[in-house]
Amino acid sequence: MRDIIVQVVARMMIPYLQLYGLYIILFGHNSPGGGFAGGTVIASSLILYVLAFGIDDEDLRLSGSVARVIESCGALAYVGIGLAGIFLGANFLSNKGAGFPLGIPGRFLSGGTIVLLTISIGLKVASTMITLFTNLAEKEKEEE
Amino acid sequence: MIRAHIMPLTVLLPLVGAYFILLVGSKHRSLARNVALVTTGATFAMVCFITYLVSNQGTLFYHLGGWAPPLGIELQADPITAFLLLTFAGVSFFVILFAYDILPDEINSKVITRYYALYLVLLGALLGIVLSNDFFNMYVFLEISSIAAAALVAVNGDKLAMEASIKYLVMSTLGSGTVLMGIAGLYMVTGYLNLDYLAGALPQAYASYPLTVLMTLAMLTVGIAVKAALFPLHVWLPDAHGSAPTSSSAILSGLVVKVYIAVLLKLLYRVFPLDFLTTLPLQGSLLVMATLGIFIGSIMAIRQKDIKKMLAYSTVAQIGYVFLGIGLFSEKAMTGAILHVFNHAVMKSMLFLSVGLLIKYSGKRTIADLAGLGRVYPIPMIAFSVGALSMVGIPPLSGFISKWYLGLGALEANHLPFLLVLLLSSLLNGFYYMPIVIAGFFKKETVEIQTHKVPMGAQISLIVLIGATFFFGLFSNIVVDFLAPTVQGLFEVFGGGI
Repeated sequence: MRDIIVQVVARMMIPYLQLYGLYIILFGHNSPGGGFAGGTVIASSLILYVLAFGIDDEDLRLSGSVARVIESCGALAYVGIGLAGIFLGANFLSNKGAGFPLGIPGRFLSGGTIVLLTISIGLKVASTMITLFTNLAEKEKEEE
Repeated sequence: MIRAHIMPLTVLLPLVGAYFILLVGSKHRSLARNVALVTTGATFAMVCFITYLVSNQGTLFYHLGGWAPPLGIELQADPITAFLLLTFAGVSFFVILFAYDILPDEINSKVITRYYALYLVLLGALLGIVLSNDFFNMYVFLEISSIAAAALVAVNGDKLAMEASIKYLVMSTLGSGTVLMGIAGLYMVTGYLNLDYLAGALPQAYASYPLTVLMTLAMLTVGIAVKAALFPLHVWLPDAHGSAPTSSSAILSGLVVKVYIAVLLKLLYRVFPLDFLTTLPLQGSLLVMATLGIFIGSIMAIRQKDIKKMLAYSTVAQIGYVFLGIGLFSEKAMTGAILHVFNHAVMKSMLFLSVGLLIKYSGKRTIADLAGLGRVYPIPMIAFSVGALSMVGIPPLSGFISKWYLGLGALEANHLPFLLVLLLSSLLNGFYYMPIVIAGFFKKETVEIQTHKVPMGAQISLIVLIGATFFFGLFSNIVVDFLAPTVQGLFEVFGGGI
C-alpha cells in the first residue's frame, strides 16, 4: 500500500508531531506531560513514517538495532542520574537534597534532575515503542 | 557508601545488568552469560550483606530521594524480608550457574542475550517486590515480574510454550488487575499506600467504610491467589511450568510463585489486624483451598506421564502447604510457611534442574524413560532423589522441617484435622516421587543411554543445592531463631483490633 495522499500528509505531519513530542518531554516538569507521553508521541511519528513509506525504506527509518541501543541507554541514564544522588552524598534519586540547583519554578531550567529524568524516560519509551513495532513488522515480513 | 544504600542498589544491580546485556550482548554473545553470572553472584553477595546488617541492626529502612513516607517511596528489610531475599537471590544465582554451559544448547541463539536480560529483570522485580514497603511499588514490580516470567516461558517460541505463556499472561494480568483495584480501594479509604501508615489508618477507615475495606481485602487476596496458583486458580501453572525451558521452570516454580506469597504475608500480617481477620470467613476459605490444593495437586501429579508436568502439579500441592501455614494464623505455622517458601524454592529448583539435565541427555520426557539413568548420571539423579525425599518429608532433609513446623502450628491453632492432611499428603508425595527414584537407580534402562559429560557449573550448582537441603534440615534452628522475633512481633503488634 503506497498511497501518495498518505505519504504527502505524513511528510507534513511528522516534523510537527516530533516537535510536539519534544515539547511534551522537555516541559514535563512544568506542565502536564513528561517522558512517557512525549516518548509515545515521538514514537508514533516514526511509526507513521514506516506505515506511510514501508518498512523497507531505510532512509529515515530508525532501525531496530539502533532503537535497542537507545532503549538500553535511556534506562541506564535514568539509573545513572539516580546514582548521582548517592555519589553526592544523599539518597538514591535525590534531587535538591543532593545539591542539584532547583532554579526558579516555572522557568525551563528548573526542577533539578527532573528534566534529565524525563528526557531519559522519553528516549526509553520512544525507542521501546519503535522496537515493539519493528519487531512485529519484521516478524510478519519473515513469515511471508 | 554501599552500606547505607544497599537496598536500592540491590534492586538496581540486576536491572542495570539486564540493560547492559542488551546494550553489548548482541555484538558479544558469550559476554551475556558472564555478565548474568557476575550480576546474580554480586546480587547474592549484596543480599547476604543485607541479611548481615539486619541481623546486627534490626529492621532497615530506606527513603528514595530522601523523601520520608507517606509521601516518599520506602524500602524496608526485616528478618523475614531478608530471608526471602536470600532465597530469591541465592536460588537464581545457582540456576544461572547451572545453566552456564547448558542454556546455549537449549535456547535459540537469536534470543539468548534477551533471555539473560529477562532473567535479570525478573530477579530485580522479585527483589523489588520483597523490599518495597508500599503497595504501589509492589504492584509495579508485580507487573514487571509477571511480564518477564511469561516471556521466559515463551522464549523459544515453540507452540506449546507459546500457548502456555499466553494463558499465563492472561491469568496473571487478571490477577494484577484485581490487585490494582484492591490497592486503589485501600488508597481511596485511607489515603495511604505505605504499609505502616495503612495499618495505622485502617481501623478508622473500616469504621467509616466497612464494605469497601472488606471488598479490597477480598480483591487483594484473590488477585494474589491467582498469581500464586492457589487451587482452584492454578490452571495456568502446570502448562507454563511444564513447557518452559529448564532454567525458566526452575526459577518460575521455585521463586516467582513464592513472591506473591511474600505480598500476601505483608498484606495479611502487617496491614490487616489479626483479630479483624479472624472475624472474617477468610481463614476457613484459605484452609479449604489449601487442603484441596494439596490433595488435588498431588493426585494430578500422580496421574502425569510427563515428568515436568508432574513437578509442576507438585508445585500446586506445595503452594497449598504454604497457604495452609499462612491460613492457620499461628506462630509455628507461620514459621513453617516461611521455611517452606525457602525449602520448596531449593528443592523444586533442584528437581527441575536435575530433570532438565536428564531430559537433555536422554531425550525423553516421560517418567518411564528415566529408568536406569542414575547409574550413568549419578549427580543429577542423586539431586533428584534428595529433592524427592525432602519433598516427601524424610527427617534429616529440609522438607521435613517445614512440615514439622506446619504440624506444630496445626496443633497450636487447635486444628487437628490438618495434621492428618499433612500425613496423608506426604504419603501421596511418596507415591509419585519414590517410583522415579527407585527406577532411576535400580531398574534396567529402557532406552540406550549415551554418556555425556555433565558441565562443571551444573555439577557445582546441584551439589550446593543438595548441601543446602541437608544443611537447612539439620541446622534449621539458625533460621528459626533468626525469624522468631519478627514472627512473634507479627502476632503481638495487633492487640487493638478494629
